[in-house]
Amino acid sequence: MKRLFIIVASFWPAYVFALEPLSSEDLSAVSGQGGVYLSGDITINENGGPLNVDGPSANGYSWQTSCTAVSTDKRCGGRIAVNSGTGGGWLVLDNIRGRFSFEGLTLRTRKIDSGFTGDGAAFNSDVFEIGLPNNLNYEEVSYTIANSNSARPTDAGFMQTDIMTVNINGKANLQGNLLIFPTGAP
Amino acid sequence: MMKKIIISSVALASSSLNAGLVPMADQELQRVNAQAGITLETSSHLTVGDVTYTEDANRLQLQNIERGSQADISLPSSSKQVVDVLADGSLQINSEVYPTSLAIGAIRVNDSAASFGQFRLNYSGTNLIKVGASSSAENFLEGSFQTSISDAELIWTTNGSSVSFDDIGYNANITRLAIGEAVDGSRRGLNFGLDEFSYSFSTGGVKLGGVSLGTLAGELALSGDAQIFAGGRSGSEGISLNASLNILDDPDNFVRFTDDGNSLFMGNFSGALNVTNLTFDVMSDHLLLGYDQLDGSFNANEILIGDSSNPVGAIQLDFLFNDGNGYSNRMAFYPGIRQPVYANLPAAIQPYATNFYSALNGSSDGISAAVEWNLANAEVAYIDNGRMVVVSGIESYGRGDLTLDVRSFDHDNNGGTADKTAIAMGMNRVQGSYSIDGLRVGNKTAPIQGGAELLLSLEVFQAMDFNLDGYTLITAGGVSGGGIQIDGDYLFSDTNIGLSIDENGNGVWATGVDYDIHLRGIQVDVSNTGLSMNRTEQWSTMNVDNMRWGDKNSGRSLGRIQLERFEKGSSLTINPGGSGAVCVGASGNAATCENNGGRWEDRGNEGMTVALKAAFAPEGPTSDGSIARNRLTWENNRDLDGSGNPVNGTGTQIIFDSYSTSDGLGVSDSNDYGFQANLKIDVYETKVAKKFTGADDNGVIGNQGDELIYDDASRTTYTYVANPTAAQLALRPQGFAVQGNVSFKDLQVDQVQLKHPDVAMPQTVFSGIVMQNMNMTTNLTATPIR
Repeated sequence: MKRLFIIVASFWPAYVFALEPLSSEDLSAVSGQGGVYLSGDITINENGGPLNVDGPSANGYSWQTSCTAVSTDKRCGGRIAVNSGTGGGWLVLDNIRGRFSFEGLTLRTRKIDSGFTGDGAAFNSDVFEIGLPNNLNYEEVSYTIANSNSARPTDAGFMQTDIMTVNINGKANLQGNLLIFPTGAP
Repeated sequence: MMKKIIISSVALASSSLNAGLVPMADQELQRVNAQAGITLETSSHLTVGDVTYTEDANRLQLQNIERGSQADISLPSSSKQVVDVLADGSLQINSEVYPTSLAIGAIRVNDSAASFGQFRLNYSGTNLIKVGASSSAENFLEGSFQTSISDAELIWTTNGSSVSFDDIGYNANITRLAIGEAVDGSRRGLNFGLDEFSYSFSTGGVKLGGVSLGTLAGELALSGDAQIFAGGRSGSEGISLNASLNILDDPDNFVRFTDDGNSLFMGNFSGALNVTNLTFDVMSDHLLLGYDQLDGSFNANEILIGDSSNPVGAIQLDFLFNDGNGYSNRMAFYPGIRQPVYANLPAAIQPYATNFYSALNGSSDGISAAVEWNLANAEVAYIDNGRMVVVSGIESYGRGDLTLDVRSFDHDNNGGTADKTAIAMGMNRVQGSYSIDGLRVGNKTAPIQGGAELLLSLEVFQAMDFNLDGYTLITAGGVSGGGIQIDGDYLFSDTNIGLSIDENGNGVWATGVDYDIHLRGIQVDVSNTGLSMNRTEQWSTMNVDNMRWGDKNSGRSLGRIQLERFEKGSSLTINPGGSGAVCVGASGNAATCENNGGRWEDRGNEGMTVALKAAFAPEGPTSDGSIARNRLTWENNRDLDGSGNPVNGTGTQIIFDSYSTSDGLGVSDSNDYGFQANLKIDVYETKVAKKFTGADDNGVIGNQGDELIYDDASRTTYTYVANPTAAQLALRPQGFAVQGNVSFKDLQVDQVQLKHPDVAMPQTVFSGIVMQNMNMTTNLTATPIR
C-alpha cells in the first residue's frame, strides 16, 4: 500500500497525502463524527488461485496444480507483471502469498480547524482520515521479484529470471493517521 | 357536494329471471326458520356504452362495458342469488356467479383521446353477505362478508399488447363489518369498521404475451377502520378518506413469488398503516390522488430466498410520509402516454428517449403519472440471529413524470425473430434527493453512529441529489423457466453523491456527476440457492466533475474522475446465509483457531451472501453500435471558464486505459471467470481495542489495547476492559461482519498513460500490466465509530 502511494505521489506534484502524528488531543477534536472501525485479516492465495484449479496450458506451461497452505510450488501464488516500455521486458512480482491481520484500522472524514501547533486553523478543511492500526501482523507473507521477457508464463518463448524472494513474519506497529485531502488546482 | 353517476346506452339481452315466491303464514315462517327464502337465477348479457362519474364538471368515463359468458362474452352469463332472513333478523344473500367475463373498453377523462387501456376480468365465484342491525348505537348496521373467486384472469391491454394475471384464486372473510357515522370536525361521513379480515390469494402466473414471469400467492389477516367524506382536494366535490389498517401478528401471514418452482418468501409478518386525508379528484385531464400523511410500520420475521432451509434474517421498517421540504405526496394519473419535451432532456439521453416513445402518439393507451413525494423519516432494521443494525434517519423528496404501457418489443434487436410483449416504464425528469443520518447498532434506541459508509459495498450511498431519466422494458423469461428480462437506458445527470459524510453533510462528495447506464438482456431468476441476475451486456460512463472534500458545493476538489465500464456476461447472485463459523486472523477450526493466534466466531445460520462476477470486456462495439471500454481517468489542473468552474479536458490526465479480464491467456481468450467478489454478510460482535491510553471522545478512560464493552444490553454506555469475561464478550460492539473473497484469473491493463493538455495524444507510462491467479480472502468486521 505504501509503495502505491509513493508511485502516485511521484506522478503528481499536488500534496495529497500526509502522515499525521496521533494524540488524544487531536482525537478529542473529532467527537461526534462518523466513520468505520475495521478489524480482521486479508489472506492471499492460501490454497492457490483460480488458475491452479482449471487454468490453461500452453507452450509447455500448465497453471493447474494442487495447492495447500504449505505448498512451495511458485504457481500457487499471485502474479503481477508490469511493462514500462513497448518491446521491453517485464518487471514481475511473482508467487505472492500470505496473511495480514490487524485491529483498529479506522476510516472517516473530519474537519481540521485547530491543533497542529497553529497550522490547523490555517488549514481549516476536511480530510479523509485513515487511522492506522496499532498492530499489523504478517504471517508467511512472501513474494518473488523477477524479470521476464513476456507477460504470461504461457506465452511462446517465455523466460523468467528470479532475482530474490522476500518472506515476512512478525508484527509491525503502525501509529498515527494518514490524511488524504485535495490541494492544488482541481 | 353532489356527484353524478350517469349510465347510458344500457342493453340487457337474452335475460331470463326465475324466482320462486312462496306465500307464508306466521306458523310456517317459524317452521322454515333459516331455510332459503328467495332464489334468483339470472342469465344475462349486458352492454353499457358509458358510465360517467362527474365531479366539479369533470368526467371520469368507463366506456364500452360488456358482461357475458366467459366462453363468449357476447353470450349470456349465469348467476344465482339466495336471499334469506335469518332468525336474528339479519338479511343474508348467498350468491354464486358462474364463469363470467367483464370487459371495460376504455377509461378516459373528459373524452381524452387516449385511454388508460382496456381491462378484462374473467371470473367465477361465491359471495355470502350477512347484514343486520348494529349491536351498538355508533353504527347503522353490522354484517359479515365472505367472498371466493376461482379460476379468474385479469388482463390489461394497451395498444394491442397485454399483461395478464392467470388462474387467480381469492378468498376474503370479514368476520365483522360495521357501518356508522364518521365525524371529523364539521365534516360528516361514513365510518367503516373491519374486524378480523382474513385474506388469501394466489395466481397461476403473471404473464406477458402468454409467457409466465412466475406465480404469486399470499395470505393476510387484517383489521382496521376507514372514514369516507365528501369533498376532495380540488373544487367542491371529490372523495376523502382517513384509514387505519393493521396487519395482525399472525404466523400464517405470507407473500410468495415462485419462479420455476423456486420461491422468494416473506412470512410471519405484521404491521400497521395509517393514512390521513387521502383524497381523490377528477381534474380536467387527469385523476388526482393525494394524502396529508401516511405512516406505518412493517415487520417481517421470516425471509427466504430460494433455499427454504436457510433464512436471511428479519426486517423491520418504520416510515412517515407528510408535507415538507416544499414537497407534498401527490400522484396525478393521466390517460395515455405523455411524452417528455425531448429538448428539455439532457442530450445524452435524448436519442434513447426518442426511440423509447417512437411508436406511440397522442392517442396511444397507457398510464402516465406526475408524482411528488416527501418521506420525512424512515428507519430500516436488519436482524441477523438476533443482532440488529438500524439504518436510521432516511429522508427523501422529489418529483417526476412516469409512463407505463404494455407493448411489442424487439428484445434481441433481430427483425428475424418474433417480438416479445414488454411492460414499458419511462421515467422523465425525476428530480429527487435522499440522505441517511447514520446507523444504530444493537437496538432501535441506541445512540446514532456514523458508519453508513459500510453500505457502500452494496452500492448504497449515504446521500444523493439526483436528476434521473430512464427507460425500462421488462419481458418474460429469465435464464430458465420463468423469470424476467430487463433492458434499459438510464442517465443520472448533474447529480451529487455523498460517499462518506458526517452529520452536517460534510465529507467526501462526488459532485456534478453524469452517469449513463445501458443494460441489455439482464435476466433475473429465482433458483434453489438464491436470486440470480445474469447481465448479458452493460456499458456505462460515470463522469465526476469534482471529487470534493467538505461541503458539496464549495469543498476543495481532487479533480475530475471518469470511469467507463463495458461488461459482457457478468452476473450477480444473492444467496441466503452468511459466513457461518470463521477463524479471524488465522487458520483453524473451533479447537485450533485460538492457539493459532486467531479469533473463533460462530456468526449463525442467518445472513446474506452477495456474489458478483464482473466480466470486463476488451474495447469493442456494443449491441447498439457504439464503442465501449473499461477505462479510468483522473484529471486536474484544468482551465477555468468565465464563472470560475474547471473545464473538463483542459487539464493533466492519468489514464488507466482499457482493462479487461480473461481466463488466463489474455484478450483473445474466453472470459467466463471474470473478476469475482463474494461477500458473506452477517451482523456480529467484534473486538474494538482502544488505540491510545487516556480519555476518549466521551471522557471514558482506558489503556491502549483495552476492549470497549457496553455496560448492558441497552448499549448506551460503555467502559474499557483489559480482560473481558465471557458475559462481557457478549456486550462487545456489533457491526457488519464480512467474509469477502476477491479472485480473478487474469486482469490486464492495456496501458497507463499521462496526458498533458499541450499535446494531442497521451504518453504511455506502462505498456501493460498483467495480474494473474489472485485469490484474496478477508475476514473484516466493520463497526461504526462512536
